[in-house]
Amino acid sequence: MGAAVLVAAAAWLSLLVGTQPITPADLVAALADPAAGSSAVVLHLRLPRTAAGLLAGAGLGLAGAVAQGLTRNPLAGPEVLGVNGGAAFAAVVAISLVGVGPLGGYVWFCFAGAVLALAAVLAIATTGRGGATPVKIAMAGAAVSALLFSLTSAIVLRNHDLFERFRFWLVGSLTRADLPTVLQATPFLAAGAVLALALARPLDAAALGDDTARSIGARPAVVRGLAVVAIVVLAGTATAVAGPVGFVGLVVPHAARMLTGPAHVRVLPLSALLGALVLLMADVAGRVVLRPEEVQVGVTAAVLGAPVFLYLVRRRRVAWP
Amino acid sequence: MLRFAVPRIVPTLAAAALLAACGGPPSAVVPGGSGTTARNCGIDVTVPGPPQRIYAAYQPAIEMVHALGVSDRVVGTAYLDAQVLPEYAAAQAATDYLPELPSREALLAANPDFVVSGFNDLFATAGSESLGTRASLRDLGVQSWIFSPLCPSADGMADEAIDPASVTIENVYSDVRDLGRLFGVEDRAARVVADMQARIAAVQQRVAGASRPRVAVVRPQDDGTFRVAGGPDFVTRILDIAGADNAFADLQGRRNFPVGPEEIVARDPDVILTSTCCDGSYTLSDAEPDAERIRTNPAFAGLSAVREGHVYGFLFADRAAGVRVPHAAELVASLVHPDRR
Repeated sequence: MGAAVLVAAAAWLSLLVGTQPITPADLVAALADPAAGSSAVVLHLRLPRTAAGLLAGAGLGLAGAVAQGLTRNPLAGPEVLGVNGGAAFAAVVAISLVGVGPLGGYVWFCFAGAVLALAAVLAIATTGRGGATPVKIAMAGAAVSALLFSLTSAIVLRNHDLFERFRFWLVGSLTRADLPTVLQATPFLAAGAVLALALARPLDAAALGDDTARSIGARPAVVRGLAVVAIVVLAGTATAVAGPVGFVGLVVPHAARMLTGPAHVRVLPLSALLGALVLLMADVAGRVVLRPEEVQVGVTAAVLGAPVFLYLVRRRRVAWP
Repeated sequence: MLRFAVPRIVPTLAAAALLAACGGPPSAVVPGGSGTTARNCGIDVTVPGPPQRIYAAYQPAIEMVHALGVSDRVVGTAYLDAQVLPEYAAAQAATDYLPELPSREALLAANPDFVVSGFNDLFATAGSESLGTRASLRDLGVQSWIFSPLCPSADGMADEAIDPASVTIENVYSDVRDLGRLFGVEDRAARVVADMQARIAAVQQRVAGASRPRVAVVRPQDDGTFRVAGGPDFVTRILDIAGADNAFADLQGRRNFPVGPEEIVARDPDVILTSTCCDGSYTLSDAEPDAERIRTNPAFAGLSAVREGHVYGFLFADRAAGVRVPHAAELVASLVHPDRR
């Protein structure tokens, strides 16, 4: 409950903080009356940005928690599994080759890229002896992610102009999403979240290992398939909305487990809340630190996330349950 | 893209290149037995005789060599932001042209003896576009020139090291004169400067006494943010000539700044110009989609410039220091002072 209150507070802050000072009274006036003075900033900039942060943050947090539960790997996360990288790469390819319109079209390319990247990671990890062990998944994911980000950079950095336009796909940001994008993304995210939450108990069982899971009636292959779908939908949507944002999906589930213990029934919703909280706060920080310039949320999330992760490592809390 | 590191360097001018710096006045050109020297961005540029293999990188440099009438000595041109001015179209069509900047190897393969760059990042050590510092090119017998309003404080630096005091139209004139002398075409250079001065004076006269609108020069980005031209960008001078002020002139230290849409809403400029770039085929009409993106951005619906229809397509090429300045100033004046045509 405390986390939900904090998320609400962060969303409130995200609506108020920015170049133009918006008071709570302005905010209420703008929401009540679209013709009010500050309503353009509130309705078309702060609101979509805040909604994008909530959606993308929750999606990344959930995707990370499912990914870590699925692979039984404390280093798993959407970015480590290549999902963000695949989504961003597909979007850049689509824009530079096909020239997809500014909205809508991206989401499908992001999904396709995420699916292909994750499929490649799992296929590579499954080859050889011992099947898809957590270590092999992490290594395959790191290799595929590095490859995809190199290819994305190769396309984006090809000249000044492309870089100016597409750097969003190298470093995530919440400024691109407008309300239609956010509204389009919401059903995907809701579906992914429902699926992820439904997998809470099977993921607990999977944590015991395939044999034990089978002995208590779970079906590991089905669980794995559904979990992959959930990760792709959640992280793919988050990337379509906010570009590739690292660290949130990796760090947030650890914080959630630290707070509630390993049971996924509690870890999953808390990861969604903490993900939204971290992304919103990172975005607010990015608006303030270098005024009047803005720092993309992908940068601030990494700057804030890395020390937290190191702290968790030092506290040895990343040891798998 | 694969790039082969095959050295094909013929240092023809090594001796001249090794001349020590002699502390004359900033733009002194010293003709004599040892060649001609002009000082550019704190570096003495010495040629034994007029360069015969000139490489021009970026729009301002390309238009400069055509304006000086040395097109037949140009061994390569690279990276146009838009179509060259009509009077240079024929000369430009006859050059070897690369839409991207060359690699260092590709540049040296053209065996130039002089490289003119319209922007400073060409020689910046930190830049992804760098061809190496000017000193490293001089060691290979290749002299170089950066347009003076973009002079970094030291070789290898870029936009972050521009002295705002150097961003003047006078420095454009002295570039034309200095390059004219180095290239052995002083008379032509003097005519170019006189023509520029006359056209710029005419624009200044046209807009004299008019109220000065605040103009934002912005480039929409894919992530919903904007890159705006700050104080040290030469467009500030062009706006000044055309009787307007840069709404972001207070942003110092670089030429371009990433800002969110809220910053533009907060400053509420009277006029918004886009900064459409970079293709050698672009004309003003190619800037229209960028302008339309700004006009239709719901967050900007309340902006004065949007409400009053003062959002115009504009080319990045018309922001730069160079022989294009009179054209750019005439264009801006006709946009911001339509009553003074």
